Amino acid sequence: MRINFWFFSSLFVSLIIIIPILTVFSSFFENTTNYFEILKNTFLFEYTINSLCLLVSVLFFTFIIGTGSAYLVSFYEFPLSNFFKWGLILSFAVPPYIYAYSLTAFFENYGTAYTILKNLFGEANYNSHIPKFDGMLGSILSISFSLFGYVYILTRASFLYQSQQLIDLGKNLGFSSYKSFYSIILPSARPAIVAGLSLVAMETLAEFGAVDFFSINTLTTGIYNSWIAFDDLAFANQLSFFLLLFIFALFIIENLSRKKAKYHFNSRGGFKRKEKLKLSKSKALLAFIFCFLIFFLSFLFPISQMLYWTIKFPENLFDLDIIKLFLNTIYLVFLSSIILILFSLISNYGNRVSNNKILNLLSTLSISGYAIPGVILAVAFITFIAWFDETIIKTLGFLSIKKIFFGSILGLVLVYFIRFYSLAFNGIKSGYEKININVDESAYLLGYSKRKTFMNIHIPFLRNSLLFIGILISLEIIRELPITLILRPFNFETFATTAYISASEDLLEAAAVPSLFLILIAAFFIMITSKYILRDNNE
Amino acid sequence: MIASSFAIADEVNVFNARHYKADSELYSKFTNMTGIKVNLINGKSGALEKRIISEGADSSADLYITADAGRCGAMDAKGALQGGLTSAAIKDAVPKSFRTNKWVGIAKRARIIYYSPERVTGAELSGMTYEGLADPKWKGRLVIRKSSNIYNKSLVASLIKNNGKAATAAWAEGVVANMARTPTGNDRAQIMAVAAGEADIAVANTYYLALMLSGKKGAEQQEAAKKVKAFFPNQNDRGTHMNVSCAALVKGAPNKANAVKLVEFLLTPESQEHFTNNTFEFPMINGVSPSPLVVNNLGLDFKQDMKTKLASYGKNQAAAVEVMTAAGWK
Repeated sequence: MRINFWFFSSLFVSLIIIIPILTVFSSFFENTTNYFEILKNTFLFEYTINSLCLLVSVLFFTFIIGTGSAYLVSFYEFPLSNFFKWGLILSFAVPPYIYAYSLTAFFENYGTAYTILKNLFGEANYNSHIPKFDGMLGSILSISFSLFGYVYILTRASFLYQSQQLIDLGKNLGFSSYKSFYSIILPSARPAIVAGLSLVAMETLAEFGAVDFFSINTLTTGIYNSWIAFDDLAFANQLSFFLLLFIFALFIIENLSRKKAKYHFNSRGGFKRKEKLKLSKSKALLAFIFCFLIFFLSFLFPISQMLYWTIKFPENLFDLDIIKLFLNTIYLVFLSSIILILFSLISNYGNRVSNNKILNLLSTLSISGYAIPGVILAVAFITFIAWFDETIIKTLGFLSIKKIFFGSILGLVLVYFIRFYSLAFNGIKSGYEKININVDESAYLLGYSKRKTFMNIHIPFLRNSLLFIGILISLEIIRELPITLILRPFNFETFATTAYISASEDLLEAAAVPSLFLILIAAFFIMITSKYILRDNNE
Repeated sequence: MIASSFAIADEVNVFNARHYKADSELYSKFTNMTGIKVNLINGKSGALEKRIISEGADSSADLYITADAGRCGAMDAKGALQGGLTSAAIKDAVPKSFRTNKWVGIAKRARIIYYSPERVTGAELSGMTYEGLADPKWKGRLVIRKSSNIYNKSLVASLIKNNGKAATAAWAEGVVANMARTPTGNDRAQIMAVAAGEADIAVANTYYLALMLSGKKGAEQQEAAKKVKAFFPNQNDRGTHMNVSCAALVKGAPNKANAVKLVEFLLTPESQEHFTNNTFEFPMINGVSPSPLVVNNLGLDFKQDMKTKLASYGKNQAAAVEVMTAAGWK
């Protein structure tokens, strides 16, 4: 085993990332019980049922919306189909918690729906006729419309590379288009669909903002509450254990299906590009309505509600220092993206040149941060640093290190790093896998140094992957809530924290302005890079 | 980048769980007057408390400001606070049951009953108490928010303090049986549920109605607010349940003197007036009147519960959660 720079850098990254997991489990046997066992069992049951109910419903919705729209957009031509192709991914710009604010604002008693009805038909008691989307149903809708994009993007990419021959085969066998869809198209896209759904599942289980807003107790909010409100670490750990079990299972499923999905992509050689079918008038209308509804509900609806409120209560616009919020958000985005990409490049390159089994294991370990909900990561981080400081640093007689990590940009970016490392690492890994190892060997034969190979060959090859990953990380950080909320420094707000704080203080109107800006910035990021997200450059 | 408290500066660090615009205006005013910079970290109380406790003796926090006495009490119980809010200015301003030497109330609110005058008769309400919320005559007519809400925890804690745990457990079951719907939404949503006809009575804090009446929430909510009336319970015995927003002095506060100064500033008549006119809370000190919107629509001459010490809200919080959960209060 060679112990060199690559080994140490990978070891370092893995250690940092493994810390929160260890913290969660290390105190598994500690007992800090403050309230009754019987109640805890009730809670455990309730939290698990809620999490499961949320999970199953969101998966169902995102599957229908995601694969349905991907199928229509990839195989058929209908009015605006080219627009929907990228318009549908704008839903990523709306985080579940902002969707939740919009739902409440629109449907609550005397809300926007009431105002519209009143203006159209005059005074009447409309409230009892307006459906209420809150609680579990509200959470399901908010999460589904915000996350179906994962399923849409991955499924569409897989549809894109399905061979025309396969589809022709269906035709030759006399399959109807339904039958082709069920027996040929859908099964061959399965790995991509499963990969998309497992991402949705992980995000759903980790979701904090929306479920907290609707006060639904899931395992994640349950862990947060028992840890933070009741100081019951033992119970929090018990919950975490259940949750992580869930999530690791999904993680494995996702990784396995991703491998299959990749195999699928790579075998596309010799496929001719599909001709899109023109739909008959009535069918085209149906397809248009389906896609437009999704586009409307996932993007137009929340952005219009926020815009409406911003206009209706303009004083909130002037109360906020928009420029400062913008700079803070962008600062976090760039700093974190650069650090994440840099370290994942180093690890990936290290893996490539040293081909060390332990190194590989370490890097696999270090991508597990994504499986842990942000809110738990943040609390685990604080707990760990406090413990480390009290028992080690101070015992050795050094000054406290807490101030370096708590309420500092360093601590904040460190926890972002733990949370989003897998995004960066896996992204670059899949980029690297496309560069044949023979390319490196040839470069060495030509007298290229390792550095020169890296700079002149790897980097240009990886450019698109790097850009794509940068955007993914940026979107995550613009929308990120719990970590920023818990760890940010004094007098430091982002659009996300400002929106959340106003909303939690029952000032939803004031939350509209930062929410609107958050959506606009995220949408801008998505628009300028839609071709990378949609992978059309590979066509 | 590293916490700004390393710099030698005239400042005070506030961990703030109250996020009213009026508050930040007051902090700016304080900085202008004294030259002391107010550093804010805004967040939800739970996360802020966790951070203060984890930071321990090295905490950069001077003051913890939050909207419920139960929270200040709980922080005290965890040993995260220190004594020192004992200056004459503070003691003179704030009645004894609304402060300890570690935390003081800075603005008051009452948790009261809202009712629909169309559907609730004066006879039904006559002599109404919190205890009366469990009366079967309200079956299917009551809305109140979730048991996880701190205002409810403190209300139930005060009932445990006054009536004992067993009686309160039975009461909680009665309340759950009377609910018109599974608890959902915030205090304002409860008031609007009465306005919209979903329920006949609601339990919510005082300032919400004034806020809705002020028009700051739009014409629709103003219209809704006019459809409900306020009722102050327990007028014939201990008085209406009162709660405060409180400022607590954190153990190890690096700028203790400035923290005391800020608290004193928040208790001046000018600051108190600013609170009452913007957040529609009741003033903590004598000699300042609540906002006209509060006086005209809620009334002023009600009997406040001055007997139940606010420190008991924190002490009975765990028991309160226990009885509510056992009763199936979502």
